[in-house]
Amino acid sequence: MRLLLVEDHVPLADELLASLQRQGYAVDWLADGRDAVYQGGSEPYDLIILDLGLPGMPGLEVLAQWRAGGLSIPVLILTARDSWAERIEGLKAGADDYLTKPFHPEELQLRIQSLLRRSKGQANQPTLKAAGLHLDEGRQCVVRDGADIQLTAAEFRLLRYFMLHPEQILSKSHLAEHLYDGETERDSNVLEVHVNHLRRKLGKSVIETRRGQGYLFGGQAS
Amino acid sequence: MRSIQRRLSLGLISVMVIVGVVLAQTSLWLFEAGLQRYLEAGLRNDSESLLVALVRGPQGLQLDERHLSPAYQRPFSGHYFRIDFADSHWRSRSLWDQDLPLLDHPGLHSNLQLGPDGQQLLILRSDYRRLGQSISISVAQDYTPVRESFQRMRQIGLAAGLTALLVILLLQRLTVRRALKPLERAREQIAQLQQGQRSQLDDQVPVELEPLVAQINHLLAHTEDSLKRSRNALGNLGHALKTPLAVLLSVASSEKLDAHPELRKILIEQLEQVQQRLNRELNRARLSGDALPGALFDCDAELPGLLATLNMIHGEHLALSYVAPAGLQLPWDREDLLELLGNLLDNACKWADAEVRLSVIERTDGFALSVEDDGPGIPEQQRAEVFSRGTRLDEQTDGHGLGLGIVRDIVETWGGLLVLGESEWGGLKVVIELPKR
Repeated sequence: MRLLLVEDHVPLADELLASLQRQGYAVDWLADGRDAVYQGGSEPYDLIILDLGLPGMPGLEVLAQWRAGGLSIPVLILTARDSWAERIEGLKAGADDYLTKPFHPEELQLRIQSLLRRSKGQANQPTLKAAGLHLDEGRQCVVRDGADIQLTAAEFRLLRYFMLHPEQILSKSHLAEHLYDGETERDSNVLEVHVNHLRRKLGKSVIETRRGQGYLFGGQAS
Repeated sequence: MRSIQRRLSLGLISVMVIVGVVLAQTSLWLFEAGLQRYLEAGLRNDSESLLVALVRGPQGLQLDERHLSPAYQRPFSGHYFRIDFADSHWRSRSLWDQDLPLLDHPGLHSNLQLGPDGQQLLILRSDYRRLGQSISISVAQDYTPVRESFQRMRQIGLAAGLTALLVILLLQRLTVRRALKPLERAREQIAQLQQGQRSQLDDQVPVELEPLVAQINHLLAHTEDSLKRSRNALGNLGHALKTPLAVLLSVASSEKLDAHPELRKILIEQLEQVQQRLNRELNRARLSGDALPGALFDCDAELPGLLATLNMIHGEHLALSYVAPAGLQLPWDREDLLELLGNLLDNACKWADAEVRLSVIERTDGFALSVEDDGPGIPEQQRAEVFSRGTRLDEQTDGHGLGLGIVRDIVETWGGLLVLGESEWGGLKVVIELPKR
């Protein structure tokens, strides 16, 4: 999962970056509204966390420009402005969720998870379930038939992406774009290694290889 | 204060009555004096004719009957005379059995009553010397017809004066009403302002009203502007304080403090207290309170957006609905009302299982807003505690919400009433009664 964090307060951004990375998200960070307009529109993010009080351009305007440009990525507004009038304005500008500062880190984590599930068409589910697997995002492990299967951080990230996109063919380059932030070197061999690890832990049939196209998760009903 | 209309009418009536009475009386008096002078000339003429008619006869002085006017012969004809000599006097036949008294001084005298008809006489006494004797001739004329016609004139004058007064009053009322129409319009507009149907007074007014209207408009703009500015400043202050708070909360929750659970607990507790206090005070400071609303709350325009926002925050599984008369506008500040309803609905959403409903009812003396949910509700004996100081019943779920504290603040500034009850679904029903302005 690749996120964009737009926040101009450096200490908060540092904290958020650290905690989001711990949760297995690839995060890019920007502090200026004008940069955010460009980068949000050009990179394939899965979710954007947007502060409203930004230098360069107000957050609401950034959001409005994204939406005007046809960007449909879910956007979570993170702001200290908590009056209802401002929340409604945020929604009208095209936000998908609204979290007011100060917040508990778990609250943000839950909001991000539910927003991602919702945007991938898995609304109304408290946890992520696909192909008979049940992903525990808090403990970063997967549960099948009541038995825990431990995962490494890289495996967790990959499996989460697969589970959010079940029965879809995902190419290696697509996976690399969504699993690594803009500064990490993307090596498709590393991806293959992680896919093989997952197959070993969860069974060969969970992830199919479509030659020349990519991977397919949960292809056969199980 | 009495109305300007009444003051003007009273002033006009008193001035008109005083001036009218004085003027009418003076002119009547002048006219009467002039008429008496004219009649006096006639009487002097009569008196001289009598003097000429006095001739020396066989038994001394006698009146030459040929020179006498026949009016002196007919009884009570209205013309009389009396001639006084040193030791006797003669009376005209017209006096019949009445006596014409001799005046003390020569000259004109009026208001002498005579005869059975009570004729008012005008008498002129003139003294002469003729044929070696001093003679005093008094001639009198009946003045009653003149008096009567004066009386009639006075009555006609009074009636005419009264009619004129009425007509003038009526015209004055009309004029004043026309002249005061801009004031009346301004009054209506101020009433509309109170009800929030307009945000400025119409500035197309007469010159006299211009400074007043301009000043009111200026004040209104100033209030709205300073409200906007202070809200913005509070927003900035909130931003400046809450972002560092968010950092601290995040640090306190991170694994760096895993080794010190006590420290973490204290930190988080204290930070939460700071946060709650800060939110409460900032929100309270944002309220416009009783100031005239700059922007009205249009139910049809605002409520769908508010409900959509709540759905976004609490998830699509909640069915949020509202019932309000079409086109209803509530005469309170838009942001305050959004804050009130937002917090109430937010609270309801936290507890609700599937349904939350907002109803707005307009009554003759106010509005009733009620928010119902199908959650567990609050037992009757605990309802009083929800709002009592120090209880955080409303903040038990979802630590970041302010719950009902701010709602109570808003309702109190508006002089409203907050009642907790049970909804038809068994959940909590919060009813807010707001009096009309």
